[in-house]
Amino acid sequence: MPQQALKQAMALNSKIPEGPLKDKWESHKFNIKLVNPNNKRKHTILVVGTGLAGASAAASLAELGYNVQTFCIQDSPRRAHSIAAQGGINASKNYPNDGDSIYKLFYDTIKGGDYRSREANVYRLAQVSGNIIDQCVAQGVPFAREYGGALSNRSFGGAQLSRTFYARGQTGQQLLLGAYSSLMKNTQAGKIKNFTRREMLDVVMVDGKARGIICRNLVTGQIERYAGDAVLLCTGGYGRVYFLSTNAFNSNATAAWRAHKRGAYFANPCYVQIHPTCIPVSGQHQSKLTLMSESLRNDGRVWCPRKKEDTKKDPATIPEADRNYYLEEKYPSFGNLVPRDVASRNAKEVCDNGFGVGATGQAVYLDFKDAIKRDGLNVIKDKYGNLFDMYKQITGEDPYKTPMKMYPAIHYTMGGLWVDYNLMTTIPGLYALGEANFSDHGANRLGASALMQGLADGYFVAPYTVGDYIASEKFKKVTTEDKEFVDAEKEVKAKTAKFLEIGAKGKKTVLEFYKELGQITWNKVGMSRTEAGLKEALEKIPKLKEEFYSNLKLVGSGEELNKALELAGRVSDFFELAELMARDALHRTESCGGHFREESQTPEGEAKRDDKNFSYVAAWEYKGEGQPQALHKEDLKFENVKLAERSYK
Amino acid sequence: MNFTLVVWRQDSKEKEGKFVTYNTTDVSADMSFLEMLDYVNEGLTKKNERPIEYDSDCREGICGTCSCMINGQAHGPLRGVTTCQLHMRSFKDGDTIVIEPWRAKALPVIRDLIVDRSAFDRIQQAGGYVSVKTGPQPDGNSILIGKEAADKAMDAAQCIGCAACVAACPNASASLFTAAKVTQFVYLPQGKPEAKTRVMNMVEQHDKEGFGNCTNIGECHAACPKDISIQHIAVMKAEYIKASACDDT
Amino acid sequence: MSATSPNANSTKNYNRFNRIISSSVFQKVTMALTGLLLIGFVIMHLSGNITLYFPDGTPFNKYAEFLASFGGLFYAAEIGLLVLFLVHIVTAIQITRLNKAARPIGYKAYQTKGGPSRANLSSRFMIVSGVLLLGFLVLHIWQFRFGPGVADGYLVEMDGKQIRDLHRLVVETFQNPVFVVIYVFAMIMLAFHLRHGFWSAFQSLGARSPNLHNILQKLAILLAVAISLGFMGIPIWIYFR
Ligand SMILES: Cc1cc2nc3c(=O)[nH]c(=O)nc-3n(C[C@H](O)[C@H](O)[C@H](O)COP(=O)(O)OP(=O)(O)OC[C@H]3O[C@@H](n4cnc5c(N)ncnc54)[C@H](O)[C@@H]3O)c2cc1C
Ligand code: HEM
Ligand code: HEM
Ligand code: SF4
Ligand code: F3S
Ligand code: FES
Repeated sequence: MPQQALKQAMALNSKIPEGPLKDKWESHKFNIKLVNPNNKRKHTILVVGTGLAGASAAASLAELGYNVQTFCIQDSPRRAHSIAAQGGINASKNYPNDGDSIYKLFYDTIKGGDYRSREANVYRLAQVSGNIIDQCVAQGVPFAREYGGALSNRSFGGAQLSRTFYARGQTGQQLLLGAYSSLMKNTQAGKIKNFTRREMLDVVMVDGKARGIICRNLVTGQIERYAGDAVLLCTGGYGRVYFLSTNAFNSNATAAWRAHKRGAYFANPCYVQIHPTCIPVSGQHQSKLTLMSESLRNDGRVWCPRKKEDTKKDPATIPEADRNYYLEEKYPSFGNLVPRDVASRNAKEVCDNGFGVGATGQAVYLDFKDAIKRDGLNVIKDKYGNLFDMYKQITGEDPYKTPMKMYPAIHYTMGGLWVDYNLMTTIPGLYALGEANFSDHGANRLGASALMQGLADGYFVAPYTVGDYIASEKFKKVTTEDKEFVDAEKEVKAKTAKFLEIGAKGKKTVLEFYKELGQITWNKVGMSRTEAGLKEALEKIPKLKEEFYSNLKLVGSGEELNKALELAGRVSDFFELAELMARDALHRTESCGGHFREESQTPEGEAKRDDKNFSYVAAWEYKGEGQPQALHKEDLKFENVKLAERSYK
Repeated sequence: MNFTLVVWRQDSKEKEGKFVTYNTTDVSADMSFLEMLDYVNEGLTKKNERPIEYDSDCREGICGTCSCMINGQAHGPLRGVTTCQLHMRSFKDGDTIVIEPWRAKALPVIRDLIVDRSAFDRIQQAGGYVSVKTGPQPDGNSILIGKEAADKAMDAAQCIGCAACVAACPNASASLFTAAKVTQFVYLPQGKPEAKTRVMNMVEQHDKEGFGNCTNIGECHAACPKDISIQHIAVMKAEYIKASACDDT
Repeated sequence: MSATSPNANSTKNYNRFNRIISSSVFQKVTMALTGLLLIGFVIMHLSGNITLYFPDGTPFNKYAEFLASFGGLFYAAEIGLLVLFLVHIVTAIQITRLNKAARPIGYKAYQTKGGPSRANLSSRFMIVSGVLLLGFLVLHIWQFRFGPGVADGYLVEMDGKQIRDLHRLVVETFQNPVFVVIYVFAMIMLAFHLRHGFWSAFQSLGARSPNLHNILQKLAILLAVAISLGFMGIPIWIYFR
């Protein structure tokens, strides 16, 4: 099956262009093969996912003249999970004149990623970041403005510079609507066809190349085949492997995972990001967690009581002296603005030590009392009104009067399908863009960089590199009647049939399995990891998976809208992914970025990297049902930055 | 908490639907409305009954997927929130809750509480964009836009496309949605060159889809989770009148 | 328009015209313009009819005669008015039918969310108040405009001319309590119709400042009450005096 792909991918060639860092992208673009404009319309590109990465790629490829088909789970491309991003998008425009530059953004991203990302990719990201803003402005994205009419910036998520562009608390929404509007424009022009309420369930390989996909029509249950010359997976992250996360309910790993099973390597699965400011869990019923924008840390002060007996008290009664502003104390120069992983781990630490507040003891305070005193209620209301209302809506508490309660939650996954400089996976013709790939954030992502990466990939990178592939390959004509398509469809159908067969007899619902899996991943492969814990996870996950395949309860058939059935497919993939995550985390005995191994920390409890042994990308190759994946290493070379211990003191 | 749910059940677009009553017990006040439905569905699944199908994704009020008419109010009793942001503490123990899908000819029911909102995509297709090419563009700050205009555009741009406005409108009109899309570009210089064709095409598509005509009832504004005002509808009309009055397209 | 081919200019204009007049916005503009003109008529009608508060019939008859003295012009105005009504009514029925069709299956439960909503009896039931007004108008015009005239003995001498004694007709009519009740009821419908209609017309025409919005809302109530009371007083006054 994936034999051919394997041979080609063996070397794990990242295809980074020669030359000095700052010229790589330009010279690469110069060397790229071009497709004759008249030939472009003879090529069909399948874009799976319509988030920032997918919508921008689809629109750009259509503008160039290709035929594009998009696929998404939601009822409209506009609803992809990117819509939920609140805070903002980075770009090295240096409008506030605080000394920003492409190099600075590059450097911060590499450092933020704890030196586990590829220099060339990150530099390119920083290079095109400014173009993204220009593009979005031209589309009519209503970014926040100064009174004089210029674009407004703020500092965000651990950056000491103001380089974040934003649109109220709804930046992701506005950027996605911008990309979606381009998508709609090209749809109107007949260059794009959108297939909504479709879930991709397999990649179809012909002669070792990705030439199509198999989808389930989520309304009718029909299994459908689509053929094309290249497939772009822009299917987002796998944060829902933890069940509770800030990701949308339908976010999943299925597309990426099924591609992995066809031969695409999965890189750094253990790198996940925990967001420090989320609304704490309120009970068993909880189906997702809500993020409160990181911007809150610009004015809010994080603290917990110094005395354990104070943790259940009304915070207003705790005197100043008994409050532990632990971030400000520990990290005087960054204070409340330390990067996400640092802020998160510290919250976990104080809670684990018994200083957590709230009903579950799994929360710390984020207090605006001083900010309100300093700036006045109106200023704070202006800045955070929406967020405060949202908080009140969910918790029933008023943050103007009492501090918010916060706890970290899974938010983003840095790991993903391995891609080369061209964003192609180890399967020829199969690309991964946006959160679905592993490429730019190393072991930890800086705030406001995911939106930037998704749009960079979609607007400015893939349109060129996909063209290069189309121009260099010879494409044999395929139709959806070909054997490869028929076979792939059969496999998908068999899988569904199996679920339904078990489902008719089983006792436990998908949601129950899903929540149980989430418990394991969160507790053992979550914010901090130990060898023992990971080994425990590696025992528990397969057991639960086994139970899943014998005791799953499902109602209804495959030939109809059946959300539980959809979920069953996704959860089945999460089991396998969770296992790989645990194995990846276990093998990486160092701590870096979002991956914290308790065995590897400095005396002060900070993450301790092991550059000598782990300065590589771990890319895992699927070896077949029940077989452990094989590890391939892509060594990371740092020629332009000096590896340093990440310090935010 | 205990509730009596009266829920619309319909197998598919073609089939007829009916109301079914469910009694549910031990609901937590901290559950969101959708989590309550999840909870009911767990029970139904175990009894081998088909779960109540409803739409949701982000579950934090931004994607616009969730869509329930709750006791005759789009997204339930609270203003400024979506169904997924509604919590059971907003109800009284023992309440009877009637749960229906959005109802409009242009939003046909697909199953139970799920409707087909593709009409919104087509309205957007008709002109809800600025015709720029993707690729390098002039510097972002080469277009200056006053804060006031930017804020106004943003007010309109907040629309999450949930269609609560249609559901709540006694005329099943999508005027508020269409207006929000049109006016975002009215306030921005980027929208000016295509202003006339945009408003005419989008209104035409709105009508073609079979939405009703706006008789200025304003219920849409009350139901809109993003508090989008019917002032935007007035702006859209003014734009339309302007566009039809002078034909320089 | 961008969608049409650039060659046939006349088709283009024809299409454009067709598109505009069949659009929902145009329908509402039609409603608003006819509605506002009708309000204009009603106000004029009331100012003339104020003379009915005089116990003496002369001022009213004089006023009626003054109008009639315009001859052809007066008929033209009447036809204009008729057209206004017809356009208003036909468009109203079109819109209402379309809106009914836009929601083939109604809700089991439906209630307003309040707040900025303008949903009330007046706005929700414009067609009802409108149709009742239409009923009233048919009766009203049949009674007065086409009611007994000079030939039937309703005549009075004024400035040496024999003219129709419309005043007597009105006074006689309002001796009948049934008509008084009908008229009072119709005027309540008129108030309901104008309470939403007046403000709504401006919204339909694209008036958009928030201040104006509030002023128009208040003005609508004032106008509705004033006009309705002004008319309503006449039958009541005549009946009880
Ligand atoms: C609450 C929240 C706030 C955030 N805030 C910020 C922020 O302020 N700044 C920032 O930079 N980043 C932020 N992020 C991260 C950022 O939003 C995401 O990383 C980014 O939007 C991912 O975009 P994407 O295009 O890769 O994928 P997504 O937007 O996740 O899109 C995935 C698409 O793939 C489709 N899809 C998935 N699986 C399948 C399948 N099997 N078949 C068919 N279609 C499929 C989906 O339907 C969807 O269209 C935030 C994330 C969250 C959760
Ligand atoms: C004295 C006579 C009348 C006056 C002054 C009047 C005035 C108005 C006005 C100002 C409007 C608001 C238009 C808008 O919202 O744009 C309106 C709407 C309406 N009128 Fe009348 N009207 C009169 C008679 C009638 C009659 C006889 C009918 C009945 C069939 C009728 C039916 C309606 C309806 C249904 C509407 C709402 C339509 C809409 O808003 O789109 N009206 N009227
Ligand atoms: C109590 C109140 C009213 C009285 C006493 C009254 C009286 C009259 C009279 C006497 C006439 C005949 C005029 C003529 O033939 O030249 C008339 C005509 C008419 N009235 Fe009224 N009217 C009243 C209210 C209304 C209202 C509320 C309306 C509108 C909604 C209305 C609409 C008309 C119309 C359309 C005509 C015909 C006009 C013409 O053809 O010249 N009237 N009215
Ligand atoms: S205008 Fe408001 S109610 Fe209508 S679709 Fe947009 S957000 Fe939803
Ligand atoms: S409720 Fe309906 S009638 Fe108009 S103002 Fe809103 S669309
Ligand atoms: S599920 Fe996204 S708005 Fe409710």
